[in-house]
Amino acid sequence: MSRSSNEVMGLAAKAARGAGAPPAQAAQFGAAAAAHLGAGREIDVLVAALAVLPDGPIMTLPLDIARIAETAQDGLATGVVAADDVPLVASYVAALPYLAWLGQRGTLALDLTKPAKRGTVQRIDLPDAIYREWCGLAARLLVPESDASRLSGAGAGLSDND
Amino acid sequence: MKDIYEAPPQMPLRKPAQVMRLSRMGSMFPTRLSFLRSLIRRLAAERAQVTRTLWVMCEEGFGHAVFSVDLGGHTYSLVAVSTDLPEDMRTDRVIATAWDTAYVLFDGVPEAEDIARITANAPLQEAGRFGPRDLILSRANKSVRLFAHVVEALRAGRQPDAATIADVGYLMRTTAVYGNGKFGIADRATYDTRPGLEGPFAAEMLTVWLIRHFTHALAEHVGRGPLDPALKRHLGIGNSTGLGMAPFLVTHPVLLNNWMMARETALARVRAIAHLTPAQITRIGELAVRAAAHLAQWNVPDPAHQARIEALRAEWAQAATVLQPEPLAQELPLEAAMQHVADLSEDTQELMAALLIEPFGELVDGLDGCMSDPYGAFAPPLRDTDALRAQIEAGFDWALGAAYADADHCGQFWYVSEAKMEPRLGLRFSEEGAALESPLDIARRVAAAYNDLPVGAEPVSAFLARHPDHALAVERVTLSARYPYAEIRDNLIAQSCLPIDMLRCKLSFFGASKFDPKSDRWTRITLCQGAPLADQLTQTADDWWLPVFGA
Repeated sequence: MSRSSNEVMGLAAKAARGAGAPPAQAAQFGAAAAAHLGAGREIDVLVAALAVLPDGPIMTLPLDIARIAETAQDGLATGVVAADDVPLVASYVAALPYLAWLGQRGTLALDLTKPAKRGTVQRIDLPDAIYREWCGLAARLLVPESDASRLSGAGAGLSDND
Repeated sequence: MKDIYEAPPQMPLRKPAQVMRLSRMGSMFPTRLSFLRSLIRRLAAERAQVTRTLWVMCEEGFGHAVFSVDLGGHTYSLVAVSTDLPEDMRTDRVIATAWDTAYVLFDGVPEAEDIARITANAPLQEAGRFGPRDLILSRANKSVRLFAHVVEALRAGRQPDAATIADVGYLMRTTAVYGNGKFGIADRATYDTRPGLEGPFAAEMLTVWLIRHFTHALAEHVGRGPLDPALKRHLGIGNSTGLGMAPFLVTHPVLLNNWMMARETALARVRAIAHLTPAQITRIGELAVRAAAHLAQWNVPDPAHQARIEALRAEWAQAATVLQPEPLAQELPLEAAMQHVADLSEDTQELMAALLIEPFGELVDGLDGCMSDPYGAFAPPLRDTDALRAQIEAGFDWALGAAYADADHCGQFWYVSEAKMEPRLGLRFSEEGAALESPLDIARRVAAAYNDLPVGAEPVSAFLARHPDHALAVERVTLSARYPYAEIRDNLIAQSCLPIDMLRCKLSFFGASKFDPKSDRWTRITLCQGAPLADQLTQTADDWWLPVFGA
């Protein structure tokens, strides 16, 4: 089924949170996942990354990129990210808000002074099994409603006819 | 040689510490920078024509219709579906599963197969599936009382009662307007560079304006007669908005900054006007009278909010004395006007701010191009934890010092309900679910990160490696250095937090008026009331700030 990029980004982020990632890392994963799938890359690395939470690349990749950014001189920085993570790094780099280039063997160049150029947003065909799995992870964050919360949580009455 | 743009003179902006408080945000009024106003100006500039391309409707008004409009070189079509909804199924709450009407804003002119697909899916709303040419999904319920009255009157060969029109102000209320990829519709990024749809929520506002047009046509069809254009113009679109909208302002900090920055820059520019022309003095005087008339027509059932409106009416009588010709003929008259209300309520101050911006389109309208968010959360990372500490003290001093473990400071928690997957607000000490809390507790998170900062400087990445839960706080602090209006400067989990303030802020940017709070968690409003009809899109069509019925 064809899904919007924003739909996939939101679902991946919620899945990451449900699997144990803190909110910021989960949101970064969501953006990277949409970029990853939009670019036609293999979904396996995303599934694997979710499976190893609260460890693994969802927690470490943002730090690896941050360490390179922290070496910036006049807003420019270069460094190398771990080779094992390169397939996913490309997607994290594509989702960065500033200019970034990923070269051979994990070489990363950053220009923190300029916003990233917008890429083309693609529709995404998310396999049904993965969709259900991610929905299941995301559902771990949902709070069942009680009689009290149903009445007070949204604040509205049951019927609003006028 | 190219012309070099010089920004107009301006006074210093009001500080975020003053502007970004919930109570003030909950006092905001629409301005000429509100998204509906920008859209209508664009439609009028293009002399846009709305055409009814399909009308398949039974005598009782059930069926479907298509209305198309050209904007910025593209054609957009509202596909409207009207169904016979049993009385007991009509609720504005998000728990509803059926509505009187459902809508899709379609990219282009739909073919028969598109219409068949949309008419099958749109009434299902969240349970339907949509595609990349479906830009916006919406639904609306009738104001049964007014719709029935209008139809009855028209069928009897007369116009509906003006007082009843004024009392309700809309034939239908939207209960959701979905955009940006929800349920498979198009990503906003696929159309947000198109002329006319660049602004925030522009496609949503176009949809709402076309829905209003449809509601008029439907009432005239069922009533078998034309409505008086003056009555039609006052019939906007109602809207019920609950907690689902509130987190948006927290989860889109750069967008919030850009909205507030544009509005505050507009105010700063007009405050810097040294002298007014006689025509400008006359115009401001007219708007002051209009504001008073609008307030007089703004009545709500809730006693507390009605009392607040009445207090505003009384204060406005005092505030408006500074908008008379004599004081306006002095030097820096609009700066004096803002100072004149500085000790009055935030309601009065924000009404004055909105009014002062209104007459100066040439000075401020270009700012609407600064209200979108083309670059995302672009902000250079902070150098080290000393820089992080300094930025927290500079931008989040308001968040430090509260005892967040105390019930007063953490008595509420935001969560997402399992039943509808919508944001809710719970009571931490009497309801289950706080362990699954949504991260809207920005103040508490920043304070916690501040307390864990090391004595000596270290890279922020090293700090986050030890404290990964602080990453969101670090992100917000980093953004605050570049986007000073990005953060609501109140504790959103405090017992005293009123979500209605967040709703009013956002809705005022949409262009909403006649706020009618039903609790501190949801409100009714009216959109497009007084806005030009489809056949009234002239260059003078923009004059509908705080509309007054019968004026």
